[in-house]
Amino acid sequence: MAHGYQPKTLPREVQAPAFVEVWRTRALMVGGVFLALAVILGFVSGDHWEHFLRAWLHGFMMCFNLCFGGMLLLMLQYVTGGKWGLIVRRPLEAMSRTIPLVFLLFLPVGIFGASMGRLYIWAKYADWATALKNGQISEEVAHAIHYKHAILNPVSFWVVSLIVFAILALYVTLLNTWSMKRDADPEPDISYWRIKFENLSGFGILLYSILLFVVAIYWVMSLDPTWYSTVYGFQYLVAEAYGVLALSILTLIGLSKAEPIRSLFRLTEQHDLGKLCFAFTMLNMYLAFAAFLIIWSGNSPEEIPWYLDRIRGNWGVVATLDVIFHWLIPFSLLLSASLKRIKSRLAVVCCIMIFARAWDLWWLIEPNFPDARRNLHFSVGMLEYATLPVALVSFWLAYYFTQLKKRPVIATNDPHLDEILESQHVHA
Amino acid sequence: MAAREGTYGLLAEFETPTQLVHAAENAYAAGYRRMDCYTPYPLEEAAEAIGFHQNEVPLLTLIGGLLGLGAMFLLETWISVWSYPLNIAGRPYFSWPAFIVPAYEWTILWSGLSAAFCMLAVCGLPQVYHPLFNAPNFRSGATSDKFFLCLESSDPKFEVGETRSFLEGFAPVSVVEVEY
Repeated sequence: MAHGYQPKTLPREVQAPAFVEVWRTRALMVGGVFLALAVILGFVSGDHWEHFLRAWLHGFMMCFNLCFGGMLLLMLQYVTGGKWGLIVRRPLEAMSRTIPLVFLLFLPVGIFGASMGRLYIWAKYADWATALKNGQISEEVAHAIHYKHAILNPVSFWVVSLIVFAILALYVTLLNTWSMKRDADPEPDISYWRIKFENLSGFGILLYSILLFVVAIYWVMSLDPTWYSTVYGFQYLVAEAYGVLALSILTLIGLSKAEPIRSLFRLTEQHDLGKLCFAFTMLNMYLAFAAFLIIWSGNSPEEIPWYLDRIRGNWGVVATLDVIFHWLIPFSLLLSASLKRIKSRLAVVCCIMIFARAWDLWWLIEPNFPDARRNLHFSVGMLEYATLPVALVSFWLAYYFTQLKKRPVIATNDPHLDEILESQHVHA
Repeated sequence: MAAREGTYGLLAEFETPTQLVHAAENAYAAGYRRMDCYTPYPLEEAAEAIGFHQNEVPLLTLIGGLLGLGAMFLLETWISVWSYPLNIAGRPYFSWPAFIVPAYEWTILWSGLSAAFCMLAVCGLPQVYHPLFNAPNFRSGATSDKFFLCLESSDPKFEVGETRSFLEGFAPVSVVEVEY
């Protein structure tokens, strides 16, 4: 309003408020309950923990996306600049620092999935000739396993995954330590730090995109070794930003119940973040539909079965709901300018967006397996998808909240800080 | 339409946006409704001060976009299914995935055009005459560095003498009576 043009002052307390501890405890409790349920289901389902492993891969990918999506957005905001970036910087750093947990979650995927061949068909039937003779795999699958052997074997899988994690760990460390040094700098040279971060992040975004392509192909796409798509990695890249933006907004809305975020999180930046969510909702759907349209137009027997596996046998219902959850609902709601300015409603949209990520991953992962392909049917094992990923993501959230408490929730040594302390519209 | 005569309103000139918003808020609180602020750049507080919260442009844009979407999708359906059916690689005539891209393009095009033209329309543009341009200080300052508040005579609360003294209470540079 017209009065109160004077800028606010930075609240004295810039640590995360005490209730983050309560969030952490709740996340741990939810994680514990759902993990117990998942283990019980593992015993009850009687499929030799088959679905438990698939759901573990699902939960691991969710956590991976949130952790490194956080790193991606962190680098993006350094490159683009802007006040929205300053307000989400510390939450994004906290997300990226969850890398030890994400690496731990990866180990079962590598050990049971690849080394023991429980998830990946190319690991299970590395001896493709015998498997083909015994009729365990089709000729196409045998050909793909044979032809792609140099890439799709457990040794390459481990080597590539470990290299990727090592590079990512280096990046997470650099981004986080430099940021602390920047705040501690007694005589801040703004352009020195800005350029330093821009150089690290600009190259980092490119490098991370390539790494994500590689691991998305290894961890998820190779579940079906016969299929390939050049836009697959991009879809994960955009989907990560999509999920992480939703989580960042939820974090800020949660934190805004107390200082310092209450005075720092202005309506202007909330609106901006909402608009970014809208953009990524559109980009996400654009990529997914473009990939589908190209393969649909080509109608090639090498590509089209991947979609048929995910449409026929009632999977079409899941695919349609995927479009509704992922695009139609967030798109229609975020169209409204006033909705983006109401915290409670924006929070609902963000929850739907994160749920849509989980739904989409289920649709990507489960139809790879012969028992589920073109045949959506209920089994006790299927319930693992509703329990184990919830448990893993809850544990991840608990670790994220721990990291969030470790640092002030706002980076203080940044010229944008003065701007977000001003009242809104002054520059309008 | 018969030419209107008499007073259009009282125009108060201010040096700063803060003064303008202060005066506008008070005028709104005093019960004036038919009024407008004139500023050289967009000033959202001024819009809020005179009780202007919603505008119709977003809704009209949405309607335009949906019309574009429907028009193109139906056009493609009509061409492919009834008007000139072609067998393209054995696909069904009604191949909706292929229709999406042009329909999407038309959604964007029609939304954009609706936004631009409806914005002009709801602003009452183009307008060849506006009484305020009769005021010399408005002509010289409204688009550069002056902030104006006009209380219009069509407001039931408007009364030349009383309104003038009300406006002078906010220490304006000047208060001018504007003729139609």
